[in-house]
Amino acid sequence: MVLLEVNNLKKVYTTRFGGNTVQALSKVTFTVEKGEYVAIMGESGSGKTTLLNILAALDRPTDGEVLLNGRSIVSIKEKEISAFRRENLGFVFQDFNLLDTFSIQDNIFLPLVLSGKSYKEMNDRLIPIAKKLRITDILAKYPYEVSGGQKQRTAAARALITKPQLILADEPTGALDSRASEDLLKLFSEINEDGQTILMVTHSTKAASNAKRVLFIKDGEVFHQLYRGNLSNEEMYQKISDTLTMIATGGVRNE
Amino acid sequence: MSSFFYSRLALTNIKKNGKSYIPYIFACIGTIVMYYNIHFCAVTKDIGQIGYHQTFRNMFSFGTGVVALFSIIFLFYTNSFLIKRRKKEFGLFNILGMEKRHIARIIFLETFFIYLISIVAGILFGIIFSKLTILLLFKILSFKVTFGFEIPKAALIFTFILFTGIFTFNLLYNLFQVYCSKPIELLTGGRVGEKEPKTKWLLAIIGLISLGIGYYLALTTESPLIAVNIFFLAVLLVIIGTYCLFTAGSIAALKMMRRNKAYYYKPSHFISVSSMIYRMKQNAVGLANICILATTVIFLISTTVSLYVGVDEALKTRYPKEIAINIKNISDDQVHKVNSVIKEELKKAKVTEKDTINYRLMTLNLLQNEEAFTSAQNLQAYQFNNFSLVTFIILEDYNSMENKSEHLSSNEALLYTFRGNIPGDTLDFNGYKFSIKKRISSLETEGIMSSLISNTYYVVVDNVDTIQEVFKALKGTDKTMEGLSYYYGFNLEADRDTQIKLTFSIQYALKALNLDFSMEGREVERESFFAVYGVLFFLGIFLGLVFIMATVLIIYYKQIAEGYDDKERFEILQKVGMSSDEVKKTISSQVLTVFFLPLVAAVIHIAFAFKVITKLLSVFNLSNIPLFAVCTALTILIFAIFYAAVYTVTAKTYYKIVANK
Repeated sequence: MVLLEVNNLKKVYTTRFGGNTVQALSKVTFTVEKGEYVAIMGESGSGKTTLLNILAALDRPTDGEVLLNGRSIVSIKEKEISAFRRENLGFVFQDFNLLDTFSIQDNIFLPLVLSGKSYKEMNDRLIPIAKKLRITDILAKYPYEVSGGQKQRTAAARALITKPQLILADEPTGALDSRASEDLLKLFSEINEDGQTILMVTHSTKAASNAKRVLFIKDGEVFHQLYRGNLSNEEMYQKISDTLTMIATGGVRNE
Repeated sequence: MSSFFYSRLALTNIKKNGKSYIPYIFACIGTIVMYYNIHFCAVTKDIGQIGYHQTFRNMFSFGTGVVALFSIIFLFYTNSFLIKRRKKEFGLFNILGMEKRHIARIIFLETFFIYLISIVAGILFGIIFSKLTILLLFKILSFKVTFGFEIPKAALIFTFILFTGIFTFNLLYNLFQVYCSKPIELLTGGRVGEKEPKTKWLLAIIGLISLGIGYYLALTTESPLIAVNIFFLAVLLVIIGTYCLFTAGSIAALKMMRRNKAYYYKPSHFISVSSMIYRMKQNAVGLANICILATTVIFLISTTVSLYVGVDEALKTRYPKEIAINIKNISDDQVHKVNSVIKEELKKAKVTEKDTINYRLMTLNLLQNEEAFTSAQNLQAYQFNNFSLVTFIILEDYNSMENKSEHLSSNEALLYTFRGNIPGDTLDFNGYKFSIKKRISSLETEGIMSSLISNTYYVVVDNVDTIQEVFKALKGTDKTMEGLSYYYGFNLEADRDTQIKLTFSIQYALKALNLDFSMEGREVERESFFAVYGVLFFLGIFLGLVFIMATVLIIYYKQIAEGYDDKERFEILQKVGMSSDEVKKTISSQVLTVFFLPLVAAVIHIAFAFKVITKLLSVFNLSNIPLFAVCTALTILIFAIFYAAVYTVTAKTYYKIVANK
């Protein structure tokens, strides 16, 4: 079943004083099946952040459409967009975006509180998630008291607790050391095993090698894609690495 | 070349931090103008023309002291706020390769430029405004102003020394801040204080208790004599209470809210409560400052305005009769002589008297304990509370004065309570007892009693012998009482000048009789009365303005500080799924709460202080409580409107900071 459908997405930025236009996305088309784990790779300036912002309904495309469960997110009214985002999408950011004024637990509760859920329901949802993400012990602590890895697991818990259709992760390992990165990626795989659809934007080969499918974006277009099939993480890493080298050296499209 | 570089950098820094530095410069100029002006009032030659100029000079000198002290605290507070915000910038300079001495040089130059601008503009505007100030003062005092322009050297020099001192001190503080910190600390200086504040229960409880005691004292003080002393104690306690409760109490209360899960996990409470906990940590002292300043402003303006507005009434309270004479130790024979002298002078001036009252009396200073009185010869300070004035009047005089026909036996008395309270139906003068036959509801008394602040009673007894007996009971049988005093008061049907002339002519005529007498004429005293109340009014408004200026600036800086803090929060909340409207609503409701908290607290303070303030005002002969209530209500209203206006203007700056991505 197709969960996310992106058709001919185009985004053109106009610089502040008119004049110059920059084409961030020229024609992006892809689909994500339910339960998939997709990584999107690309160099800086390739348009991957623009793509993610549009998928997250934070930005609107110049042309093209995005369908989530068959519903176009491009045409959602401004008033409903925050609620839509809260209920259908989960976010994990590079810089965690946790609020220092909340304890870890309250940070995770934040989207549910905004949706007006009762404390009991929130707590019932939190317990299994916290256990899975191994943050049960630190729930009462504050973001400035825990490590980067723990912060990112908190952010992941915050994304999961709303039972979103899709998790959007923007460079989730970008601010973590290698051990914490590995930890988090393992968790992402486990979450995915449980049936959660994940779309991750990254330029870390290591991170992407955990995904089931990798899309490569170059100059605002989907340039190439790799399926994992039965490959191990190490083999996948090698394959991604080769593809990146090819893109960097300007090789022509193959496969 | 290099010094040029530093000056340019310093100027750029000031310009770049304009949002916080321009108001600071204005505050410096404003403070200097205010200080120069109040000092000017204390030393200007023009004041010398007024009758009681020495008193006024003293009052203005007091005002000068207050403004000086205030300037020091206020400018130091503002400066330390600014330098805290800029630590990151200095940290960056440090990391970019500037040594601390280079940074010190920049700071020195910045301070120097600000000092130069402030002192030059401040003194210049101060001199210009001083003429305006003296015009205003003389207008209030209804005095004619002389032409000419005066720049008193003393005011100029003191202003210069004081503010040079303040700036030097601030500079040293800033340098100390930079020298004592490491670059990494400088870089993160702005973020210090991100940890969740601990609940300081002890402090919260201390605050609650001292506020409670302060309020209790203010509410239970009956005697104006104690009110003066108690008032300062109560003020001190309330100030302590305010600071403790704003800092510790608020956090304790918020944490209690957070513990209540059903309340806390609601969209409207969740974000406000949690961020308020942090906000209170950073701003509690600022809010407490605003609260105290607001209370002071309301107090100063409402009291001085009502005194000034009520000056006519106060004059009448203090001088109930237009002319009043009090003669001590007088014989019946002399009473007749005095009466005829007064009649004669009136006839000479072709004026008729009216509302005349005259009676013989004996006033004793006594110590009161409920209904029992004892002699107060060796008065100790702690006994002030019990100190009371008891005036005995003879029934005959009372009956003729009030047109009554009361009868009394030697153990019966009529009681008029001017100020104080006697429970029960008896009076006991060290053994000599009276039963109170009747309590009198009104009696024309001597005006002086209203300006004395002790308990005051009038006791009507059957005859002089009874007074003699009471005297012996109190002072011992070997003492003999001197003769009774004689009070003679009346109004006139005459204009002001005639009244003044008559007052002096009667005084002159009485002097010839060789009596121990004192005399008061309402019209003679009017001018000095107006002058004293006018100067108080002027000082009240002046200091009120100074404090309002400080309040505005503290509010403004609070808004900026919160704007920078909220910016990040604002962005995260939006990413997590809050619409920008929701975020704006949450933040503004919470800013509003924080903002009006000090005002509400100030109004509560004033409400509790109301009673004790009326007691204090009675010392100034103002007994018109409705007038004071109206003045207070109006002051609060005007202040609240002003406060809201300042809020609206500064809130704009705040939203600009928050929304600016």
